[in-house]
Amino acid sequence: MSGFITRLWALAKKEVLHMARDPQVILLALGMPLLLVVLFGYAVSFDVEDVPLAVVDQDHSPASRDFAARMDESDAFRIRFRLESEAEAEALFRADKVKAALVIPEGYARSLTRGEPTELQLLMDGADGTTARVAVGYASQMGQLETLRRVQDGLTMSMPLEPRVRTWFNPTMDSAVFVVPGLVAIILAVLSVLLAALTVAREWERGSMEQLFATPVDRLAVVLGKVLPYVALGILQFMLVLAAGAWLFDVPLRGRFVTVLLAVILFLTCSIGQGLLISMVTRNQQVATQVGAVSSILPALLLSGFLFPVENMPLILQVISRIVPARYLISVLRAVLLQGRSITDLGGPFLSLVLLAIALITLTTLKFRRRLD
Amino acid sequence: MNDSARVLVAHQLHKRFKAQEALRGLSLGVAPGELYGLVGPDGAGKTTALRIMAGVMGPDEGYARIAGKDPLSGDPAVRSMLGYMPQQYSLYGDLSVDENLAFFGKMFCLDKATFSAQRERLLHITRLGRFGDRRADALSGGMYKKLALACSLLPKPRVLLLDEPTNGVDPVSRRELWALLFELVEDGMAVVVSTAYMDEAERCHRVGLLHRGQLLMEGAPTRLMAEHGNAATFEDLFLAAVREAA
Ligand SMILES: Nc1ncnc2c1ncn2[C@@H]1O[C@H](COP(=O)(O)OP(=O)(O)OP(=O)(O)O)[C@@H](O)[C@H]1O
Ligand SMILES: [Mg+2]
Repeated sequence: MSGFITRLWALAKKEVLHMARDPQVILLALGMPLLLVVLFGYAVSFDVEDVPLAVVDQDHSPASRDFAARMDESDAFRIRFRLESEAEAEALFRADKVKAALVIPEGYARSLTRGEPTELQLLMDGADGTTARVAVGYASQMGQLETLRRVQDGLTMSMPLEPRVRTWFNPTMDSAVFVVPGLVAIILAVLSVLLAALTVAREWERGSMEQLFATPVDRLAVVLGKVLPYVALGILQFMLVLAAGAWLFDVPLRGRFVTVLLAVILFLTCSIGQGLLISMVTRNQQVATQVGAVSSILPALLLSGFLFPVENMPLILQVISRIVPARYLISVLRAVLLQGRSITDLGGPFLSLVLLAIALITLTTLKFRRRLD
Repeated sequence: MNDSARVLVAHQLHKRFKAQEALRGLSLGVAPGELYGLVGPDGAGKTTALRIMAGVMGPDEGYARIAGKDPLSGDPAVRSMLGYMPQQYSLYGDLSVDENLAFFGKMFCLDKATFSAQRERLLHITRLGRFGDRRADALSGGMYKKLALACSLLPKPRVLLLDEPTNGVDPVSRRELWALLFELVEDGMAVVVSTAYMDEAERCHRVGLLHRGQLLMEGAPTRLMAEHGNAATFEDLFLAAVREAA
């Protein structure tokens, strides 16, 4: 037993040396999570601010000035130019002086008072796709609000208008908060599976596995000697992502940190077990990378409840999702981070994670034969 | 020599890789203090034979025994009796000389005192002492092989299996390595060396000529030369035997 511990410790230490000396691992392990959380976080909650706007007011009425002023008051747009014709706007677009132009046609005020449908035109620079989409979202929202306001003011014939603001591409900050837990699961799943798969495949390819087999080391020590350091690395990644999420998107931590940490450790054990299993079967870095990437990204993305709620999936996928560890991690993270739930409320997901971790490590150890053939 | 005197025994080893028969009934035995040379052309099955004897690969038929024990069994005692140096690079390239030694020392669970004594001794005899901090993949071919040898000698094995230890090693280092092997054998170790160099084969106590997974001839080099009187050199003798078998 003491021999087991001695060897396990030496194996884990050696693995840490490998990591520390491989700039690629550091970059991948610590750079990628940050990059992803920033990219993803902003992609879902891109707050456009001060988009330079040109106003082509052909109506010259109090109502048209009023609407333009409201655009200016919003955080999204800032009026930079007031023009007479669309053609002038186009020149400004080309010169990259404005990103948007609002055209208020002649007769706008008249149509409003008569309750006729009016049309405002918003021209967008489509080159910056994200900004454009988000800005359009804002603008249409404003258009609706304007209509609504006028309905309420009784200026138009009242038609029951649903006071619902649709935010397609611009879920507010709240959804970044909601996305980060899913992002944590995906980042941890992908990186742990890949890094674990790579390290074992590398030992096969570089021949060190053969030298290792010639020593009295047993397979459980080899497996755990890989699991422990990568769990530690995963915890580091998790804290990094969580910190970035808290800092950039105000992701809260309403429950206890140890609860999420425990779930993360169990989840990492599953993912690393999966990665080790893959590389033991493929024994080749390239194949292991491909199989590892697909088998980690797809389930974590599609079957975890990250993009689609599990309840809405076809039954067969719901059943399969039961063996996707990301599903349980995401539900624990959401429950603890956002709702402040405690571990006693989360017995189900925790039990599932424990069972999956045990199953994967057992399978990996059994599959791992201390032989070259 | 009876079997009990042999600390290493391979009995009727067969190994097949898909269509390729790597070993076809190889048997050999090595006594303590004996230096056995396994000679043969590329693909003869030398590596396969050594891997099976080292217990890192299983035979399809037959068995290997180290001091009467199965090297495939998980028994740590057998492993510690066995030093094995694979043909391909197999240490950790990104670990230094010292770190590699320390790591394998831990794998054999050497206690601190034993380890540092062994480390001192092995660094001295391999003359790697000055390179303790150097990464293994920054060592020259010869120094790398010496480090691999040092790692396999850490548990003070009774049987040492070396797969082409002088491949890619300059002549000076080759001579040093062989001098080292003779010292080990004098201390009573049983050593099996595979080689493609005939001058090295000639220096072994006994050689076996492996061809297509079978021994074509086996014996002391001088005796083999005497028995096949018409060969001018050892190399001629082996080439003739291979040609005859083909
Ligand atoms: N793991 C393996 N998978 C498939 N075929 C193998 C494997 N190992 C060896 N072989 C085949 O078995 C035969 C014997 O190979 P082996 O490596 O034992 O020969 P060798 O004498 O060591 O050759 P070399 O001098 O090239 O090292 C060869 O034909 C080789 O292609
Ligand atoms: Mg070989």
